[in-house]
Amino acid sequence: MTVFTTMDELKRNRIMDLLQEGKRIDGRALDEYRSITIDTGVVPKANGSARVRLGDSEVICGIKIQPDRPFSDVGEKGIFICTAELLPLSHPTVETGPPNESVIELARVVDRGIRESHMIDLTQLVIKKDESVVGVFADNVVLDYDGNLFDACSYAATSAILTAQMPRWEYGDNGPELQEGLEPLPTTTLPVSVTMAKIGSHIIADPNSDEWDCMDARITITTNSEGNICALQKGGKGGFTVDELATCGEIAINSSNKIRDILQAVVPK
Amino acid sequence: MSEKRKHVIPGDVVTTGPYRADQNTVLDGRLIISTTVGVSEIADGAVRVIPLTGMYMPRIDDMVVGKVTTHTSLAWELDINSCYVGFLPATDVFGRDFSARSDELNTRLKRGDLVAARIANSDRSRDPLLTIVDRDLGKIDSGELIEISSSKIPRLIGKRGTMIQMIESQTDSMITVGQNGWVVASSEDSNGLIKAKKAIRMVERMAHMHNLTDKVRKMLEAEK
Repeated sequence: MTVFTTMDELKRNRIMDLLQEGKRIDGRALDEYRSITIDTGVVPKANGSARVRLGDSEVICGIKIQPDRPFSDVGEKGIFICTAELLPLSHPTVETGPPNESVIELARVVDRGIRESHMIDLTQLVIKKDESVVGVFADNVVLDYDGNLFDACSYAATSAILTAQMPRWEYGDNGPELQEGLEPLPTTTLPVSVTMAKIGSHIIADPNSDEWDCMDARITITTNSEGNICALQKGGKGGFTVDELATCGEIAINSSNKIRDILQAVVPK
Repeated sequence: MSEKRKHVIPGDVVTTGPYRADQNTVLDGRLIISTTVGVSEIADGAVRVIPLTGMYMPRIDDMVVGKVTTHTSLAWELDINSCYVGFLPATDVFGRDFSARSDELNTRLKRGDLVAARIANSDRSRDPLLTIVDRDLGKIDSGELIEISSSKIPRLIGKRGTMIQMIESQTDSMITVGQNGWVVASSEDSNGLIKAKKAIRMVERMAHMHNLTDKVRKMLEAEK
């Protein structure tokens, strides 16, 4: 992230020592997530919104839905774009200004998880083929940083999409014309992103900021409702062995089932 | 809360009496106005506001805990939880015969090391100068760093050190308290360390309450 911290050696050693005993610095099991709380509808003027707290990391996502020109090569599909931004409020070392590489990566990983799972059925968002489609913009704003923003932003974006209300448009003489009524976004599946860190030879799920600072490598795996892996991103200088990747896959699928239930619970019955 | 002590926000008139405007207050005509969120206090003819939160402002002779972030050929730079960076000159560690050409600073203190230091010199126009030439100062070799607000440190130490001594004896731990809000606790017993951390967090959370030492003691005794 844009968060620059110097990890103190004593804490690093303690994290390593505890991992040798199979423990973590905050007392969690290696594959255990921090508590997730989701509030939806937190931005009244947005078409959909959600605030997610993953431990002490906090993210707000707002969804804007509006008619747009389709991309020239996919005139029969709507548009989905996901962004991310860190507020200076989120951490003492974060500054305003254009996003750096790691924030761009954050936005892209969250975007890819949702896009490649085909969560939003973009074919239903066409107002007139090659002329006008509906664009869905999910903007994540990080309010508080305590590690693992990939998952926090992903859960915020998916919960906001699940609860978003889309206006309707018909194509008229003057382009798209707004109609009466609102409807939910057409969704087909529920992607869940699970981020794991490798510290030494240990794999841990949902690293907090201290663990994030001393990890060798990380991997984010997004699975869809059927438990199939639909997106993956590896980061950090270290590598994963084939066996470790298999372990990561298992953790991702097992954790995603529990998290999917939490995300599903935000949908109004 | 008594007349003398009250909660104030920036812009609040603390008093109009013939007092000296001390820490975190300004004098405007006859009015003494708070410049921060905190608790006002009138003592010895002076008015001051003890901030409820905020960054650490270095003061000469304060003992602080710093974290080495980088070094030049002549000095280490330490994060001291402030808007200022602490400078620890190499001569402090290597002695007067330090030579920038032959002595490698990395061999003594490297990035990420924690150091107990004293503020040797500081004014607002320059970054504070640190020293480790004194008893009980220098590199911290064991323990765990706990970060609390620097405004809660007087509460953690207590009157004549009662609070910190009580926590140390009840949890069988050694606690190094930096005025900058960084505290290093170490203990042979990992359970003691967890209890010490819990007590320090409790002081931070309940710093505004009366009889805090008794409350913390009761909590620690109940944990036994």
